[in-house]
Amino acid sequence: MRRNQGCNPIEHVMARRQFLAGTAAGAVGMGMLGTHAQADQLKHQDKRILQVFLQGGVSQLESWDPKPGTVHGGPFQAIPTSVPGIHISELLPHIAQRMHHLSIVRSINIKISDHEQGRQFMEKGRRVGDFPYVGAVASKYLTPSDSELPGYIHVSSRGLTDVAGGAAFLGAKHGQLKLEGVQPPSNLAIPPGIDELADASRDQLRLQFNQRFVERRSKALTEAYDASYHQAAKLMSRKAMFEGQASKQDLERYGTHDFGRYCLLARTLLENGAACVKVTHHGYDSHAENFNFHLEQLGEFDKPFCMLLDDLKARGMLETTLVVIYSEFGRTPKVNVRYGRDHWGTAWSIALGGCGIQPGAVIGKTNDTGTAVADREVDAGHLFHTYLQAVGLDSTADHDLQGRSIPIGDPSVESIKELLA
Amino acid sequence: MTPENSDQTAVDINAIDPTQTHQVAEFKHEIALTTLRVDPTDRFAAAGAEDLDVQLWDLESGERRTLKGHKSWVRSIDFSADGNRMFTACWGGVVNVWDTSQAKPKPLQTIHAHQGSARFVRVSPDGEQLATCGNDLLVKVWDLADGKLMHEFSGHTRHVYGVDFHPQGKHLVSQDLVGGINVWDLESGKHKQRIDASVMTGYDNKFAADMGGARDLQFKPDGSQWASAGITKVTNSFAGVQDPIIVLFDWETGQEVKQLQSADDNVKGIAWGVRYHPDNFIIGAIADKSGKGELWFYKPNEEKAFHTMKLSSAARGLDLFSDNRRLAVAHADGHLRLYRMTAQS
Repeated sequence: MRRNQGCNPIEHVMARRQFLAGTAAGAVGMGMLGTHAQADQLKHQDKRILQVFLQGGVSQLESWDPKPGTVHGGPFQAIPTSVPGIHISELLPHIAQRMHHLSIVRSINIKISDHEQGRQFMEKGRRVGDFPYVGAVASKYLTPSDSELPGYIHVSSRGLTDVAGGAAFLGAKHGQLKLEGVQPPSNLAIPPGIDELADASRDQLRLQFNQRFVERRSKALTEAYDASYHQAAKLMSRKAMFEGQASKQDLERYGTHDFGRYCLLARTLLENGAACVKVTHHGYDSHAENFNFHLEQLGEFDKPFCMLLDDLKARGMLETTLVVIYSEFGRTPKVNVRYGRDHWGTAWSIALGGCGIQPGAVIGKTNDTGTAVADREVDAGHLFHTYLQAVGLDSTADHDLQGRSIPIGDPSVESIKELLA
Repeated sequence: MTPENSDQTAVDINAIDPTQTHQVAEFKHEIALTTLRVDPTDRFAAAGAEDLDVQLWDLESGERRTLKGHKSWVRSIDFSADGNRMFTACWGGVVNVWDTSQAKPKPLQTIHAHQGSARFVRVSPDGEQLATCGNDLLVKVWDLADGKLMHEFSGHTRHVYGVDFHPQGKHLVSQDLVGGINVWDLESGKHKQRIDASVMTGYDNKFAADMGGARDLQFKPDGSQWASAGITKVTNSFAGVQDPIIVLFDWETGQEVKQLQSADDNVKGIAWGVRYHPDNFIIGAIADKSGKGELWFYKPNEEKAFHTMKLSSAARGLDLFSDNRRLAVAHADGHLRLYRMTAQS
């Protein structure tokens, strides 16, 4: 007997917080929990996530948790920010002026110092197992039904291996679409010699084959195949988005280097309905010359990121966009003989802000020398719950998958409640 | 031992012979050193470290004074000709002036020289000016009499790592992260020449970042050449995998004269120090990524170093005493070690 596969999982993941507080329209009551009306309302709230991934492991001591003048403090100083009492590294002067939009978690201990394991934990909120990335979850539950873009898009100068695009059991359509830079994916255009009519006929034929295939097998088997066509079709219809030249004014603000252009593309993608956009800035794995490289890399990151933050704010989107700046781990307090800092998952930081996040907060702290968490230890599981609850999803609910229920977030940990707005 | 045998084995322990270089003294700090300088009278050696202090050792008595006044790591040091004034530049952009004759020196003067790091400081040959460079892309010249800014040279497009006066005192040479070398005319206050030293930089494609810069810069005393120490052949700079190099440049033409590199292909790291010896050889100090180091001894007309001395800890700074027999090296293990380029007594 064929199982009911038509259930809309959004019904299961409306945040309890949202339910208790009511929606913006103030019309949601107990009796409406789990209805399609509520699901539609949530999607129309148009929430989204911007992830900025500082690949390689940014040093917490050169960014969010500076300890100048201490034994492991490094050469850089701390500077005051727009939030009285919060100091960050002098390498982030533009962010310092916008700290009132962001908060810092300074007490992360993931107990992992391996790039891939750390990245997987930070994306999935679980140490092991085939679970979807936070971007895939956002794609599934936050993508408007009429979205003209894939839900989860990753802009990066080079590939990072993500099995099934991080979608796991959510299905290929929620997997990460990788854009290598600001160029549209290759082969986006209709092949030469085929006009739009012929292309439509070709697609119709594909759908007929799909239908015949599905009649004899689970539709899940064709989902990945079909999803790739849908993603390509969506991108093809929005090809102009990539072709438009950035304005001179934007380039002056964001910079002409790759990361500046990636941030501009991220702005466009978020404006056009992507549920999660991830932008990777490479070059933080500084086992040697940590200080010179952080000068260079954070110098490149700081301003374009802030221009994007400003533009989200100016467009009224920051209140509905969760912004997360993160890595796979931090870097060792101890400076090695190459002026480097090595991998360190034991006591490090991220910053986040925007949708659902209390601004201007500092959660947790490390000890005086930065070698251990001194207060409010959290890990990637806590962060995963926090991200999803910030955008109005109940991370303690289950994914409903063809009769199987799988907890969205790790049931053994909770969100960082004091960080949620 | 018979008198005959004694005569046969007599050695001149003052004859300079780099192949017999050996350690003669060691001064310990608790933190890894970052740079050093020996004063021109050979009384003091000063070192910066991975802390906020300057360590000043009296080389005769071994007494150490710890000078406080910086808010960041000290990365470059120089002295006045009489050794009584010391100038220290730090990552915070500040240059402090110290009186070394004081029992507990405090900064006589603090110059906020650069926005971002002040990477290098050098006293002019006449002792009247100070040159600095830094992360604000500027090269500056200060009047030592009153601390006022005399020249501000702009033209570098990346962080400026090193600067030195030509021995005649009329020009400066500066070098930036990506191998841009500029020659500045101190009389006209104008840019004189642009020289390409891109061999001393590398773009790490994987990490999308540049590495390079002059980690030490020194003119030959006769002014005919200058030497720059740094890196080349970047393979994986984030792990310290690149070749250390010292490049010699001709003053008249600005052309590269020679590249000095390690005799050991397995040595990967950074050249942090270079000195011209009056006996017509060049000394280089190297930090290998393993944490060990090398001293190179090169004759300018020979293809390979005539001697390489392995060091137990990476070198982060080098200076030559005015007696021309001793070297001082700042090490990553926190020690300042003195080496003598003669036979052992």
